[in-house]
Formats: sequence, C-alpha cells, structure tokens
Amino acid sequence: MKKLLATALLLASTVLFAQVAKPIEMPYVDYPMVKGDHDEVVQQYCLICHSWGYILNQGKKSRPYWSGTVQKMVNEFKAPIGKEDQQIIVNYLVKHYGYESTAQH
Amino acid sequence: MDKINRRHFLGAGLILGASTLLGKETPKKIITSSAEYIPPVIAFPEKKPLKVISDRPPLLESPRDIFTQAITPNDQFFVRWHMPDIPTYIDLNDFRLEVKGSVETPLSLSVDDLKAKFEPVEITSVLQCGGNSRKYYAATGQATHGVQWGHGAMGCAVWKGVRLKDILERAGVKGTAKWVGINGLEKPAMDATPKFFREMAIDEALSGELIVAYEMNGEDLPYLNGFPLRLVIPGHFSDSWVKMLSEITVFDEYQNSFFMDVAYTVPDNDCECVVSGSDFEYKRKPIAAMKVKSVIGYPTPNTVIKKGSRVKVTGVAFDQGKGIKEVMISVDGGKHWSSTVLQKDYGKYAYRQWAYEWEPKAKGEYTIMVRAINRIGNIQPQADEIGWNAGGYQYNAVDAVNVKIV
Repeated sequence: MKKLLATALLLASTVLFAQVAKPIEMPYVDYPMVKGDHDEVVQQYCLICHSWGYILNQGKKSRPYWSGTVQKMVNEFKAPIGKEDQQIIVNYLVKHYGYESTAQH
Repeated sequence: MDKINRRHFLGAGLILGASTLLGKETPKKIITSSAEYIPPVIAFPEKKPLKVISDRPPLLESPRDIFTQAITPNDQFFVRWHMPDIPTYIDLNDFRLEVKGSVETPLSLSVDDLKAKFEPVEITSVLQCGGNSRKYYAATGQATHGVQWGHGAMGCAVWKGVRLKDILERAGVKGTAKWVGINGLEKPAMDATPKFFREMAIDEALSGELIVAYEMNGEDLPYLNGFPLRLVIPGHFSDSWVKMLSEITVFDEYQNSFFMDVAYTVPDNDCECVVSGSDFEYKRKPIAAMKVKSVIGYPTPNTVIKKGSRVKVTGVAFDQGKGIKEVMISVDGGKHWSSTVLQKDYGKYAYRQWAYEWEPKAKGEYTIMVRAINRIGNIQPQADEIGWNAGGYQYNAVDAVNVKIV
C-alpha cells in the first residue's frame, strides 16, 4: 500500500512538474494586412509591441480615433515614431481600417 | 518632458486621445462597421482552440457555450496579457516572489515556501476582464475604444493559494504604509514603455479576501493564466489580478502610473458613464467592483431548434459578491418574463448557474433575454439604457440571443 501511495505521489508530482519541464511554444498568427500605402512603415512600428490583431479586432474607426490612438502609442507607450511616419500610419489606418469622419470613435 | 506638466496632463485624464482632440461636442452615435473581422480559432499551449484576438500579446476569447457550466475549465479559460514579452519558461527553483518597500522584513518567497509556510485558502471566484462584452455597446449605437470582446473574456474558477494579508503581515507592514504596488514578469518590447503595474490601498490589500493563488481548479495555473502565481481579488474586474506575480511593493505614497491613472478608468460620477461631452473631460477613477450580470450559454445565437423540443436554456449570473437573488428570462424579446431555477451555490463570488425549461410550440424567430438581480437590488440595465463610456468597460446590459424554431 505504501509503495502504491508513493508511486501515486510520484506520478502526481510528475504531472504537475510537466507544466514547467520545457518552454511553451507560442503559435504565430499571420493576420491579414492590406498591402500598399506604405504598409512597410505601419509594420515597422505597430508590430514592435503588438500583433495586427489589435487593429483588425477594433472594427473600422474614424480619423480622430486612429489619430488619437497613434498619439497614445507615441506619448504613453513611447513608440519611437517620427511626425511624418505618424501621419503615414494614420492615413493608412483610416483608408484601410476606418473611414473619413470627424466622429470620435 | 516636464514632469509637472505631464502629471497635470495625466490628472486631467486627457490622454487616451481621440475624444480629447475634438473636445466638447456630444459624441455622435456611430455604428461600428458591420464587416466584423472574424479571428482565427487556434490552440495555444495548455488550451483548447480559442478565438485568437491577438497572438502577441496573447488575447484569447472563450466560446459562449462555456457559460453552460458554473466552473470554467482551465483549457478554455480566456487569456489577456498587456505586454509582448512573456517568459515561456519558469524554473520554480529560481522563481521568487519579492515582498519589499515599506516593510520591516523584506521577503523572497518560492512557490514551495508559500505552500509550506502559510495557511492555504480556497475561493471560487469569477475573473472578468474590464472590457468584456465591449462589442455590445456598439449594438445599441455607440462604438467604444479597444478590441471588441464578446462575452468570452470571463470565467469562473476555484483558486487556491495564500492570503495576501498573511504575506504582508509576515513581512511586517510599516505604520507609514498606504499603498501596495504589484507587478509580474511580463515585459514591454522597449525599455521606455511603462511596465504593467497595479496599485491598491493598503486597507484593501490587508482585507483578507485577496489571495496569491498557485492553483486553479486543482491544478497549477496554466502558463497563459499566470503560472506560477497570480493575485485573486474576488468581486473585482481582472485588471489587478496580476499574472506571473513576482513583486509586491509597499509604498508610503501613491505611485503615478499609466496603468492606474489612464488605462482601465471610467468617469468618476455615480453612473460611471458619460452624461454629456467627451469621456476624457471627466475626472477618472479606476474600475473595481463588478456589476450584476447574466449571460446565456445555451442556446447560442442562431441555433435552429425543432418545434416541440424541450430546450434547457441555461447560463450563468454573478455580481460583485452580494449574491444573485433572481435571474428572469423572456423568450419573446422582453414582453413577458419568468423566473429561472438557480442551480448549485458555489459561493457569493462564483457564477450562479441558472436554468429554464422551454418548449417552443410555434415556428418562427425568437429572442431569448435574461436579466439578473442581486441581493441588494442591483438589476441589469436594458441594452438601450446602459450608461456609456469610451473605454467600453463594465458592460452588463441584458443579454439577448436570437434563435429559430422550425
């Protein structure tokens, strides 16, 4: 009986330990991204910190929204994006993932 | 940047951008485009296939049918990180939880220390992202910021661990201490980016209800849910349930931070919503206690059911910890309401599953709606009367599912 118990304990600890026995492997998701209009600039900066899923899953947004979001990335998250590139990114987002409007969302 | 100006800017809550720039006009009703992106469904480590809103940082949404169970299985439990750099391997021989700052004796605790040297406690509690269900704000007219989660950024688990209070008392909190800062091992891609950091008043940290959990539903925490330790704050949104918890720092003074002062905040008024003008003109407050809510787990939207079938409509309800009193159901789009039968009680912070036997007798389209009320009389608002905030936080309006009887 004692032997059984010891085996069971060993098994239990093996199972728990299995979770940290080797590094986990995170899948990579190739989110679709419209080409053109300097998408290479958009990729260069936006994808430093987050996947393209962050953009796709917000739905289409207005120009003030995308402009404010890029500002947030620069001012709050310290994204190293120069003024010209900020404008390129905003224009790209509005054209392909948004709409021209003065609405805030 | 000039420090004083910056703090003033933060204090005024003028950061999140868009709304700020335009100023004072009343927000227009804008419907999010109906061409909604459908994220792929992929299995991540220790997870069944889930909706992948983002792979980096990982944001995984649970399917609606998990709400047919009071306890959410670990392998279907939602995932939400803030930073892209998450350790993919943690050696428990090296891992330590550091307790420092305004304490008599700083501590450096291994997971084994926590298991062996402290009293274990267990609590069943809902874990819900502040932005859960955000996309439904748009359904009644006005879209919100951020990724548009459905209902699947929440779950309920049995958490086992050690009281935060016991850890802090072991370290000996100094009399001057007022705040407790917490952070984990996730890191930003660039050094200049603010690190994920949360903060709470010392009284809350010492309340005895918060635990540092090392087990979730009887197993080690899954990696993506914060292995090996995460903070559990029953009744509160998940923003401060820090994952891969590695540092607890006691402070005499409040520490200004992006993640407390700007992110996860709502207008500091009674409705915690925008009454007029722009959200970011309001004084801010961090979201904290959850609001009474119920969702339908079965049937799921657009289910086709044969006339005369006996349908067990079921779902879950919860609140901030006062306890669910009743869940009402309507199968005719809100014209008539009946009581559901509440199922097993797992405690005041847990899901309360509810069920209703329905035998549809005529063909056609039906809208099933549920509405919960808690023991202090908090009731879910109707979808068209919920208070709105730009961040899309705290959505708790009446849930509705359309089905077809054939």
